[in-house]
Amino acid sequence: MNLRGVENAALAVALALMVALPMAEAALRAAVGTGISGASALLQHLTLVVGMLGGAVAAREDRLLSLSTAQLFLKGTLKSAARIFGYGVGAGISAVLCWGAVVFVGTERGAGNILAYGVPVWVVQGVLPLGFGAVAVRLVWHGGEGWRGRALTLAVAVALVAVGVRPPLEASRLVTPALVLVVAATALGAPVFVTLGGAAAILFWGEGLPVASIPLDHYRQVVNPSIPTVPLFTLAGYLLAEGGASRRLIRVFQELVGWFRGGPAIVTALVCAFFTSFTGGSGVTILALGGLLMPILLASRYSERNALGLLTGAGSLGLLFPPCLPLILYAIIAKVPMKDMFLGGIAPGILLVLLTAWWGIRQSPPAAAGEGAVFRWQEARQALWEAKWELLLPVVAFAGLFGGFATLVEAAALTALYAFVVEAIIHRDLKLPDLGRVMTECGLLIGGVLLILGVALGFTNYLIDAQIPARAVDWATASIHSPWVFLLLLNALLLIVGCLMDVFSAIVVVAPLVIPIGTAFGVDPVHLGIIFLANLELGYLTPPVGMNLFLASYRFGKPMPEVARAAVPMMLVLLVGVLLITYLPALTTTLPRWVGK
Amino acid sequence: ATLAPKGTSFHQILLSMGEKWRQAPGGGVLLTVYPDGVMGGEADVVRRMRVGQIQAGMLSAVGLSEIDPSILAIQNMPMVFRSLEEVEFVAEKLRPQFEKRFADKGFVPLFWGDAGWVRFFSKSPVERPADLQKLKQFCWAGDTRQADIMKAGGYRPVLLETSDILPGLQTGLIEAVAMPPFFALAAQVDTQARHMLALNWAPIFGATVMAKKTWDAIPAATQQSMLQAARESGEQMKTKNRAEADQSVTAMQKRGLVTHAVTPQLETEWRKATEEYYPKIRGSLVPADLFDEVLKLLREHRAARQK
Ligand code: NA
Ligand code: NA
Repeated sequence: MNLRGVENAALAVALALMVALPMAEAALRAAVGTGISGASALLQHLTLVVGMLGGAVAAREDRLLSLSTAQLFLKGTLKSAARIFGYGVGAGISAVLCWGAVVFVGTERGAGNILAYGVPVWVVQGVLPLGFGAVAVRLVWHGGEGWRGRALTLAVAVALVAVGVRPPLEASRLVTPALVLVVAATALGAPVFVTLGGAAAILFWGEGLPVASIPLDHYRQVVNPSIPTVPLFTLAGYLLAEGGASRRLIRVFQELVGWFRGGPAIVTALVCAFFTSFTGGSGVTILALGGLLMPILLASRYSERNALGLLTGAGSLGLLFPPCLPLILYAIIAKVPMKDMFLGGIAPGILLVLLTAWWGIRQSPPAAAGEGAVFRWQEARQALWEAKWELLLPVVAFAGLFGGFATLVEAAALTALYAFVVEAIIHRDLKLPDLGRVMTECGLLIGGVLLILGVALGFTNYLIDAQIPARAVDWATASIHSPWVFLLLLNALLLIVGCLMDVFSAIVVVAPLVIPIGTAFGVDPVHLGIIFLANLELGYLTPPVGMNLFLASYRFGKPMPEVARAAVPMMLVLLVGVLLITYLPALTTTLPRWVGK
Repeated sequence: ATLAPKGTSFHQILLSMGEKWRQAPGGGVLLTVYPDGVMGGEADVVRRMRVGQIQAGMLSAVGLSEIDPSILAIQNMPMVFRSLEEVEFVAEKLRPQFEKRFADKGFVPLFWGDAGWVRFFSKSPVERPADLQKLKQFCWAGDTRQADIMKAGGYRPVLLETSDILPGLQTGLIEAVAMPPFFALAAQVDTQARHMLALNWAPIFGATVMAKKTWDAIPAATQQSMLQAARESGEQMKTKNRAEADQSVTAMQKRGLVTHAVTPQLETEWRKATEEYYPKIRGSLVPADLFDEVLKLLREHRAARQK
């Protein structure tokens, strides 16, 4: 087996262990009282392994999340030059992070703490420098198609590191130019994690603070005890999407609501919401379902433009439904109880689905294909029966949690296991080779996301080190006097943030700035969180950094500007939803309060 | 860095200590205080001190034991101390030993102190050990030895993360948790577990430590006045902390917390039940030599007081 095979297999095995361990823990706890010794710490460090390995695999496949538009527009030499520069800076930053990780792991080794069963923590932490190192090497590799391009990419990386080690000027005077360099590299094709990781590294470096703080925060973020839910729910979503679940669920919704006016649009909204809630803001929805839903919309004679807009917009519906990844992440960062976030998102999520469906009905062609169609009881029943296992999934996911016999992480593992049983054993849609592929794909995606989350926390920590959140609170409470004005400014700010940042970085970096101000104005923390996420949902559709625009452009083979124009009406519809969510707090707060009683 | 919330007396006292440090002879030292646990949990603070991002931290025994486990001889010994005065006495006697162990690991303690007692919070009333043994009790997942000892004592530990405490109480995954009132109030544990037993189970003990590398770079004269200011702050905190523990309980009582008083008979019952599993604690949770020394010091202290 070559390195590629070894990496893929290790990733799949680590993910499988992540499912097995919490399941065994919950079962043993129910049977004999206490579970596996050190289970929690082991699971958290498995997440670290999956994250770094997944990041290395994503770099190998040249699929680290990058939101640059330049690579789409540029041609010829200019395109190659942009790539060499973007990837070179990316590789240089990754090398710096690798070195920081070496220092961090060295101090941890000196501390000599034990993870479990006699294994020292530093041994597992060793995946940090290995992962960053592999990413650096692979960015150089993909910097050019030939040896010349690669050599130039390497030269850019080496130059960057050399300036860092022996600055020609005072370090503090180089900070601003260096930051500009990193932003330019991002625009020209460097992966997203390089922007925040690089900015953090430069800022720490400029003040003579140790760069090892960034891998330290990366570690802290990834081994957060709630983070294992992220890979587990994502795995569940992937298994469903790659199995026959999408087909079966689309059929159910079509038989139930597809037969009346605007039905296909409603089907789109519902199916997209269902899948996004499991696969998170990762865009899997558009990739996995776009191909199935587009023909249905076109067959119902929706215009291509409307169909494209609907699919692009609906791709982020479901962001507010549990157990969506951004909800989990926000709860972790804001230290809000996860259950309250889950319950709080339900009504606002339904509102956004309804608004989307309403727009879809209005856009439905006058003599739609649905016309004359009637509800067919037999077919509906058959479709429901066929998809019964998938329809039970949310029940399985939350019965354990709300029933008091499982933690959230265990509920997530159960969901993944259930999805596996349904797709691979009951329906047999996924054979062994498919499973390997699905797990590698899932690990790759998680690796990319965790890479961003980890370095984003490093950047946030710089802000804290510089006491910026505390100053922001003082400024805001001194100059804003009404919570309503605060909310309006918050909406405006988050719209801009959504335009410029991906949802994961935005949560990790911006939420810690906004939360203390919200608290100072007495905004309910769950409400603040839902406003935050609903606003960012819009960000998926706004250029220049709009993940759904990218994915739709890639999936349907349409140029970005065309996709962006098609998505404008959906954006306005969602904007109305965001404003309603912001100014009607009861929409969010009623359900958590009612259940909390 | 400290986990203490902003605006509390912890925070204010640290700020005024920083002011004194700035005016110390030999140029003074600039102290920036990061409250609210913004630098992460206690283990994270220790890690940051090791890589050199921050230079000092105010830590409880949880974080300090990441540096050296000897400190657990005070915090991990339930029903051993009868008063905070006893805690103080033992801590003072053991201080040279602690300071040497910490210096060997690269840290300099500036001042020590307690933050009151750990108390039991539960969904149904708990008065005697048998009541608690019926309940599923939170045990931090990072501490499997603690779970083994709880089981030896006849309790039912459920290993969870601290973030699972509140949801766990909500859903019934756990029914009781031991923690200081100060944190119970902040984490709103009392909204789910409405009963508190006023038993002095174990003290919360901690110290403010500085990285030795930073400390050694400071001129001796400055060190002296810094230590002076630190010790004064430590004294202030001790009195404030104890008052704040009481205030936290009062605040929770206003929200509906029911406190159960402990009669001398009940206290004896708890002590007897706990002493039964001391052999399990000795040598596993607490180093054996320190365990014996604490008991010996207490025996001598009590005998001296009776004269
Ligand atoms: Na955007
Ligand atoms: Na975006």
